[in-house]
Amino acid sequence: MSPTVKRQLWAILGLAVAVLALMAFLQSDYFELVLTQVLLWAMMSVAWNILCGYSGYFSFGHAAFWGLGAYTVALGLIHLDLSPWLTIPASAVVGGLAGALIGFPTFRLRGHYFALAMLAYPLASLYVFQWLGYQEIPLPMKREAPILYMQFADQRAYVALALGLLVITLLISLSVENSRFGMSLFAIKQNEPAAEAAGIDTWRWKMLALMLSGALAAMAGGLYAVVLLVVTPEAVFGMLVSAQALILALFGGVGSLWGPVIGATVLVPLAEGLNAKLGDVLPGIQGVVYGIAIIAIILLAPEGVYWRIRDRLAGLLPELAPMPTPGATIPAVPRAAPSPTAGKDLLVLRNVGISFGGLRALDGVDLSVPEGGLYGIIGPNGAGKTTLFNVINGFLSPERGNITFVNESLVGLRPNQVCRKGIGRTFQVVRAFTRMTVLENVTVGAFVGAADAAAARHMAATALDRVGLGARANALAGGLTNRELRLMELARALAPQPRLVLLDETLAGLGHDDLDGILGAIRQVRAEGVTVLIIEHTMQAMVQLVDHFDVLDHGRLIASGTPETVVRNSEVIEAYLGKKWAEQVAVAVK
Amino acid sequence: MTHQMTRRSVAKGLAVSAAALALPAIGRAQAKSVKIAMIAPMSGPWARQGQLLRMGADLAVEDTNARGGIKSLGGAKLSIVYADAGDSTEKAKNAAQRLVADNPDLVGGFGSWLSSFTLAVTEVTERAQIPWLTLSYSDAITNRGFKFVFQTSPTAEWQAAQTVPTALDLAQSATGKRPTTVGLIMDNTAAPTSFAKPLREGGFEKAGLKLVVDQIYTPPLSDATPLIEKVRSAKPGFLLLLTSAMPDCKLVLEKLDEFKLSHGKLPLVGNGAPFGSPELLKTIGPELLEGMLFSVANWPMKGQEEFIERFKKKTGEPFLTQDGLCGYGHPAILAEGLEASGAADKIKVAEAIRAMNLTTGPAAQCFPGPIKFDEKGRRIGVPMIFAQWQKGVPVTVFPTDLALATPVWPSV
Amino acid sequence: MPFSLVDFLQALTAGILVGSTYALMCIGLGIIFGAMRVINFAQGDFLMLGMYAAFYLATAGGLSAFLGPSGGPIVAAFLAGPIVFALGWMIHRFIVSRVTGAGAAQTEGAGAYGQILTTLGISLILQNGGLIVFGSAPTGIRTPLSRSSWEIGDILLNQGRSVSFLVAVGLAVAVYLFLGHTRQGKALRAAADNSQAALYMGIDVDKAHRVAWSLGVGITAVAGGLVAGSQSFQPYTGFDFVIVMYAGVVLGGLGSILGAFWGGLVIGIVQQMSTLILPYQLQNTAIFVVFLLIIFLRPQGMFGRLSERT
Repeated sequence: MSPTVKRQLWAILGLAVAVLALMAFLQSDYFELVLTQVLLWAMMSVAWNILCGYSGYFSFGHAAFWGLGAYTVALGLIHLDLSPWLTIPASAVVGGLAGALIGFPTFRLRGHYFALAMLAYPLASLYVFQWLGYQEIPLPMKREAPILYMQFADQRAYVALALGLLVITLLISLSVENSRFGMSLFAIKQNEPAAEAAGIDTWRWKMLALMLSGALAAMAGGLYAVVLLVVTPEAVFGMLVSAQALILALFGGVGSLWGPVIGATVLVPLAEGLNAKLGDVLPGIQGVVYGIAIIAIILLAPEGVYWRIRDRLAGLLPELAPMPTPGATIPAVPRAAPSPTAGKDLLVLRNVGISFGGLRALDGVDLSVPEGGLYGIIGPNGAGKTTLFNVINGFLSPERGNITFVNESLVGLRPNQVCRKGIGRTFQVVRAFTRMTVLENVTVGAFVGAADAAAARHMAATALDRVGLGARANALAGGLTNRELRLMELARALAPQPRLVLLDETLAGLGHDDLDGILGAIRQVRAEGVTVLIIEHTMQAMVQLVDHFDVLDHGRLIASGTPETVVRNSEVIEAYLGKKWAEQVAVAVK
Repeated sequence: MTHQMTRRSVAKGLAVSAAALALPAIGRAQAKSVKIAMIAPMSGPWARQGQLLRMGADLAVEDTNARGGIKSLGGAKLSIVYADAGDSTEKAKNAAQRLVADNPDLVGGFGSWLSSFTLAVTEVTERAQIPWLTLSYSDAITNRGFKFVFQTSPTAEWQAAQTVPTALDLAQSATGKRPTTVGLIMDNTAAPTSFAKPLREGGFEKAGLKLVVDQIYTPPLSDATPLIEKVRSAKPGFLLLLTSAMPDCKLVLEKLDEFKLSHGKLPLVGNGAPFGSPELLKTIGPELLEGMLFSVANWPMKGQEEFIERFKKKTGEPFLTQDGLCGYGHPAILAEGLEASGAADKIKVAEAIRAMNLTTGPAAQCFPGPIKFDEKGRRIGVPMIFAQWQKGVPVTVFPTDLALATPVWPSV
Repeated sequence: MPFSLVDFLQALTAGILVGSTYALMCIGLGIIFGAMRVINFAQGDFLMLGMYAAFYLATAGGLSAFLGPSGGPIVAAFLAGPIVFALGWMIHRFIVSRVTGAGAAQTEGAGAYGQILTTLGISLILQNGGLIVFGSAPTGIRTPLSRSSWEIGDILLNQGRSVSFLVAVGLAVAVYLFLGHTRQGKALRAAADNSQAALYMGIDVDKAHRVAWSLGVGITAVAGGLVAGSQSFQPYTGFDFVIVMYAGVVLGGLGSILGAFWGGLVIGIVQQMSTLILPYQLQNTAIFVVFLLIIFLRPQGMFGRLSERT
C-alpha cells in the first residue's frame, strides 16, 4: 500500500472520529439533522465525482439515481412492507441497473450533448412518477418495531448511518483513484482518443463508472427518504438535486477525493444557516448568497478549494521545476535480438480509401512497412496524413481497401483493440496530467500490456529509460519542458512494448537542440527493434532520420522511396513548393 | 367563549396568581407567556400564502392578548414563533426540527399550507408530541395513524362527495334543470388527484352525471388550446376545474373566453382556495371571473363581517381569503385548547383539542360547523362552503345560513 | 384516441403559434451557444427578466396606458430586449468573460466546468434576486388580445399569440440578416468558428462574445415579453422553459440559428400535438423523448454540423 493511500485512509478515519465527536457534543436534534444532511449530500457528491470528476463526463442528471433510490425505499416500505435495512442496499442495485440502462445509449455522446441528455432523465422521471400517482408519499410510521424499519427516535442514529455510508463511499472512491480503473478514467478525461489508442477500453470503464456512481447515489437517496419521511417527485428528481451534487464537488475540488466532502461541509450548513436566519426577512437571500459564493469560487479557485490549497502547498503554481542539464545522455540499453521477422512486411495497406462528404481524404493508398523499418509519411497540410493514422488506429473505418498487421486485418477493430495487437501511437497535442509525476503519466499507457498496476509501473519505468527520461520519472509533469513532454509522450506509447509505433508530428515546432534529443531517442527506439512510422510535414528533420519516405498529397501517394530519390521527385517538389519551383529544382538537380 | 369554571381551574388560577404575587417586583411586571408555532412558506414560490397566514395569526394573537390572554393560565399571553418552510420539503422539515429544538416549551402549532410540507413538518411535530393544526386537505396527512395532527379542512374525498351534488342542487334551484354531463380539467398534483379519484370511481355516476371530458395535465400548462378544444366539441353541462395553480387558471379561463364559452355559456365549478385569490382577480379581471363557483373548506361567512373589514383595513388586502381566515382560526383553536386544558402542557392541550366540541367563541366563528375532531384528527359534520365571484369579490353563497350573497347559476 | 380534423388543425395552429415564441427563445440560446460554446443555465432567467421588464414597462412605465392595452404590451416586449441586452452586457463584462472566451471556451478541464458553474451561479442570483425584488405572487400583463381570436372556419387563432408569432418571425429574420450580412455579424460567426484564427484576423473576440451573449439574452427576453401577455409568471418561471429551449436548440442543431428557429417551432408543435394521441400529462415527456431521440439518432440536429476534433 502506497504512503499516499495510507495517508488517505488515516484521513477518512479522522473524518469519522471527528463526526462522531461532533455528534456526541451536539445536543440538538436540529443540528444532528443538518449534520446528517451534510453527510448525505457529501456522499451524493462523491458518487457524482466518481463518474464526472474522474472521467470528465459531466452529468446534470444524477437526481435520476437519487430519486430512484428514494422511491425504491418508500414504495418498498409502503407496498411490500420491506425495511429500509433491505431496500437501501437494494436501491444500490436499482441505481446500478439504471446506470447501465442510461449508459448504453448516452455514452455514444460526448461533451455538451452528454451533459444535456443526462439532464433529461431525472426530469422525465419526475413527470412519470407524477403521472403514476406518486405525488406525495409519506413513509408510514412503524410504532411496533421502529428500529427494524430504521425509524429511530434519536437523530444521532441517522448521523451514524449517514456517516457509515459516506465512509464506504469514500473508501470506494479511494480504491478507484488508486487502481487501474481510476487511471483509465483520468486518461479518458485528459484525452479520450489517446486513451483509446493506448489500449484502454474506454466504453467499459465509463459504463462501470456510471453504474458505480449510480448505485452510490441511489443509496444516498434511499437514506434521504428515510430521514425526510416524505418523498415527492420534485424533492428527489428536481433539478436542484442534480445541481447540488455538481456544485458541492466543483466548489470543493472536482476530481479529488476530498473535494465533495469539503463542498458539503461548507455549503450545506451555509445554505441552511442563511435560510434559518434570513429566510423570511429577505426571501431568497440564501439563493443569492449561494450564487455569489459559487461565482466567487469560480473566479478565484476554478477547480475548487481543494486543488487551490494543494497547489499552493505543493508550490506548483508560481515556478516550474528546475531545468535539467541540456544534452542528457541516453543510457545505452542492450539491443534486442533482431526479430526473426525483421525485414518482412509488418503493416500493409492496400488501396485504402475514405471520403468525407465529397472530399476524398484518402484515395487508393498502398503502403508497406517492414519490421524494423523507420518510415516517414510526409506531405503538405491537408494531405491526409493524420487521417491515415486515424484509419490505421481504428478511429475511422476505411470505405475501401484493407489494412493488415502481421497478416491480421485491422479493419473494424476499435482503437483499443488495435493497440492490443501491438500498435502504439503518440498524439500531436500532448495533454499531460500536470499534477501527477512523469512515471504516473506513462503508467497509463502501460496498462494494456500489464497484468497489474505494479507491472504497469515497471513497464513505464523501462519505457522512460528507453527514451532517456528516466532521471525525471518522479518530477511533476506540469514542470516539463517541451522536449521532455514529447519524450514522455513517446514513452507512453512505448510502455506496452508495441511492435509498431505511430508518431504523429512528434518533431513539430522543436528548436535545434531539442530536435537532436528527440531524433536520438527515436533512433534508439528503432535500434531496439520497434518499427516506427512517423508523420511530419517538414522535410529537413526527416531526411536524416528515416529509411524511406511515402509522400501524400490530396489523399494520394505521389512518391515512395529513399529520402534522396523522393527529395528530387518533381511531383513532390511541386506539391510542396509549387510548379515554378519544381521546374527550377529539376533544372538545378540535373 | 366557553370555558368551564371548575373548582380546579379556579383554584389553579388563584394558586398561579398567588405565585405571581410572591415573585419579586421585577418578575411580577412580566406576565407569563405561552408559545405556539407557525411553519409556513415565507420565501420561495408560495411565500404569499405564508404571508397571508401570518397576517391572520398576528391578528389572532393580538385579539387573544387584548382579551386578557389565556385566563386559565393566569392571563398568560399568547406568543407565536414563526419559521419559514421555504420552497422544498427538505427546508420545511429543517424548519420544523429547528423550531422544535430551539423551543422545547412549544405547546402547539399550525401550518404548512402545501400538503407535502405539512406531511414533512408533522413527521417532526408528531414525534415531539406537539398538537398541530393544518388547513391542508390531503388524505395522507391524517391517514398515518398520528395522534397529534388535526385537519381543519375536510378531506379531499369528502369535499368531492359534497361538491358535485351541491353544484347540481344549486343549478336546479336556480334554473330548474340538473345538468347531466360534466367535464373535468385538472392538474396531477396531490389535492386534485385525491379529489377526483372518488368521483371517477362512481361519484359522477351516483350524481347522475356522464363524464364527457376528462383531462389531466402536468403543471405548468403551456397552452390551453387542445384542452378547451375538447371541451368545445364535447359540450358538457358544466365544467369542473381543479387547476390548483393560478397561472394555469388564467390560461384556462382566458381560453374559454376565446372559444366563446365564457360569460355564462359554460358554468364553472372549481375547488380550492386558489380559485378565490386576489392574484387571480389582478391578472384576469372581474368580468371573466364573474359567476365562477368554487367549493372551499373555509371562506369568510355570515357573522364575520366586522372581522372582514378589520382585516382588510389592517392589511390592505382587497378581501379576506381562506389563508387569512385560517391563520386567525388556528391560533384561536390553540388558545381554546389552552384554556380548556388549563396547563401549558402540549399533551394536555392535544387532549383538550381532541375532546373539543366548539360552536361558539372566536375559534368556532372562524370555521363552518362545530370544531370537533374524530380519532384520526379529521373534522366531522362540516358543511361544504361554496363561494362565487360576484362583481370582483368571491363571496360565500352556500350554505344559506352562512352565505353573504345569493348564488347564481350561469345560464345563457 | 380518435380525433377530428378540427382537433388536429386546432392543435397544429396552437403548436405553431406557441412554437414561434419558443423559436425566438431558442435563437437567443443558439446565438450564445453557437458563438461561445457555453451552456447557459441562466437563459431561462433572462427570459423571466424579459417578462418582468415588459410587465413594468407596460404598467408602471405607462405603455399600456399610452398605447392602449393591446399595443402597449407588444411594444413593452420589444423594449424589454434592449434593457436585458444592457444587463447581459454588464454581466458578461464583469463575470462571464472571465471564464469564457478565446482561451477557456475550447479547452476541457477547468475552463469548461467554470462556465457551467458560473452560469448556474448567475441563475441562482437572478431567480432569488428576482424573488426579493418582485415578490412571489404570480403576475401577468393584462391584454385583451390574450382572449380574443380570429376565426378561420372552425379554427380559432388566438390574437395575442398570433401577434407574437409575427413579431417573433420578424425578429428572427432580422437576426438572420444581421448575422449573415453585417460586418459585426460576420465577426461573430468567425469568432465562433475559430476564435484563434479570428484573433489573428484582428477580430476582437472578447467583444464579439460580449455582443453574442447580450444579443442572445436580449432576444430571449423579447420572447419572454411576448409570452408575458399570455401567461402568468413568477421569478422561478424561467426553469419551465429551459428544457424547451435546449430541446429546440439541440433539435435544430447546435451552432445553427436557422436550426434554432425551426427547432423551437417543432418543439412547440410536438408539445401541442402530442395531446392528440398521448395523455395530456405526458406533454412535456413527449418533448424529452424527442430530445433524446434527436441526441441519439442525429446529434447534429436538423441543420447543425457534427464537428469532433480528435
